[in-house]
Amino acid sequence: MKKYTLKRILTSFLTLLAILLILFLLMQLMPGSPFNDEKLSSDQRELLYAKYGLDQPVIVQFFRYAANMLRGDLGVSYNISKNTPISQLIQTRLPISIGIGGAAVTIGAVLGLLLGLLAALKHDTIWDSLATIISVIGVSVPSYVFALALSYYFGFKLRWFPMLFSTKTLYSSSVLPSISLSMFTMASIARFTRSEMLEVLGSDYMLLAESKGISGSALIFRHALRNALIPIITVLAPLIVDLMTGSLVVEKIFAIPGVGSLLVNAIQSNDYNVVIALSFIYSALYIGIMLVVDILYGIIDPRIRLAKEE
Amino acid sequence: MSSISMEASASNEYIPVDSDFRLKDNAEEISIDTNFAAQSFWKDVFVRFVHKKSAVFGFFMILLITVMAIVGPGMNAYTYSGQDLTQKNLAPRIPVLENLGIFDGTEKMSTTSGTKVKNGYEENGLDDVYYWFGSDIYGRDIWTRTWSGARVSLIIAVAAAIIDMLIGMSYGLISGYFGGKTDMIMQRILEISNGIPRLVIVTLLLLILAPGMLTIIFALMLTEWIGMSRIARAEMLKLKEQEFVLASRTLGAGSFFIIFREVLPNIIGPIITQVMFSIPTAIFTEAFLSFVGLGIPVPQCSLGSLISDGFNSLTTHPYQIVPPLVVMALLMLSFNLVADGLREALDPKMKEM
Repeated sequence: MKKYTLKRILTSFLTLLAILLILFLLMQLMPGSPFNDEKLSSDQRELLYAKYGLDQPVIVQFFRYAANMLRGDLGVSYNISKNTPISQLIQTRLPISIGIGGAAVTIGAVLGLLLGLLAALKHDTIWDSLATIISVIGVSVPSYVFALALSYYFGFKLRWFPMLFSTKTLYSSSVLPSISLSMFTMASIARFTRSEMLEVLGSDYMLLAESKGISGSALIFRHALRNALIPIITVLAPLIVDLMTGSLVVEKIFAIPGVGSLLVNAIQSNDYNVVIALSFIYSALYIGIMLVVDILYGIIDPRIRLAKEE
Repeated sequence: MSSISMEASASNEYIPVDSDFRLKDNAEEISIDTNFAAQSFWKDVFVRFVHKKSAVFGFFMILLITVMAIVGPGMNAYTYSGQDLTQKNLAPRIPVLENLGIFDGTEKMSTTSGTKVKNGYEENGLDDVYYWFGSDIYGRDIWTRTWSGARVSLIIAVAAAIIDMLIGMSYGLISGYFGGKTDMIMQRILEISNGIPRLVIVTLLLLILAPGMLTIIFALMLTEWIGMSRIARAEMLKLKEQEFVLASRTLGAGSFFIIFREVLPNIIGPIITQVMFSIPTAIFTEAFLSFVGLGIPVPQCSLGSLISDGFNSLTTHPYQIVPPLVVMALLMLSFNLVADGLREALDPKMKEM
């Protein structure tokens, strides 16, 4: 397990470096330099280059860049808000995005579990088919279709919830975006819970538990669900990817001042620095979460641990 | 009872008579009973696929949308880029149906003094003009644009899926077949490229390349091959120890002959399933890119760019976003249903998901 964990950490770090290298090369490929001013003489330009370390070999520049990025110095924005450090731009936005994402995961996980349980316990009945249809739609239809539909009906037509996000009505205006983002989570967890529960319910140890006289909710929750839920960690990876991509569009639709809408704005206004910094943040988040997921999985399920060590 | 043991016993003392043989023509019985093995593999798959209603529904939906994407834009006189600013923002109006009170070109407008019903056709004296799905803010026909958008989205998705299949399949098969150091290095490269979020790769790529159909296909190509290569590698690891591979090698076949002529035909099932799963992903990614402004350049359109345009008039002219949104949702749903059905038909033992 130790060897596997170390290997996993090393790969993650290498991946992060590879991303930094790609981002750095992109910066080099972008036309122009920060000191393009016609009024500068070549002496002045050289002084500036020396001051900012641009006269150093590219390799040195890369490592300095990587160290700065890892320390949290992400550069400054050019177009969106001139000369503002990007870390400052992100500071207020990250909690909002994480809040909405967290709410979406919570709603999705609870509803998904219930739906999956219902389908498994009422296997081959109308409830099962209904749950299957809901989960197939949830998995296949992208979150922004839900976002558009919800914002039109519940936001514009019925006016139950605000159409646009605002910090004044934080809770009621978070409802629609969280629900639209939660659909994929709900559907994949429901599908997963159903198939795992069906397998566990047919196992010998369930028969044993039943023959010992355990019944009802104790049987379902203590014996079946606990074992069925171990491999749920495997569905987390696609969930994270979906949340990240989904949040971009959903934040734009509901005008949420989060990281996703910042990236969309940066793309549309050609603010390369912000795009690159956010790409780094997204990658680092993704790599970090995947690392934790993989290691946790090994700790929780000994079968995986053994298989990985071989 | 098999025919061989019949013959063996017949040569001794028992001579079979006609009544020993019973013709099984009950279709229901055949599909579940012991004669099963007599069917060819693909016929078998077909039977199981047809039994799954959702998969058949998905198949016909894809067929319908594909046919409409081919013939739809030519069904009326409008073109996808033809603008007529005097006929902008007209609600859907369809002949015959308009007499029933639906699709008659009226729309409800929300104003400060409450909602009022407005008919743009009557107001502008356009008695003989019909926009089946309505017209957009530049007076372009949404029917034509929806179907030509579906065409662009389908071309991008299918092209990307096929290229991904070729790259991912070759990568996975080679990595799995050679094993050892080759496999180690190839898998490390794969792990690192898998660690980069697809969103980031696609976004960065589109920043440096000019937006367009080829760029989007290229971006999808760079991101979607990984899943395919994993499947190909796993299948290769399963098959390469089997006797038919050994037999082929004994007969003098080289590595590439074994990989592409012996193993590949045996894993075509899981590969097709994976292609079907990657098409909706590609459709979604394209739509997403269009939504953030990195999609197909105007006046060309895709489902994603139509949805993005429709979003701007969501509250004033909601009918503009409905057709592309519905077509895209149906398309993604159908491809997923077909892929699910195929997966189960190809491997009935597999755990139900």
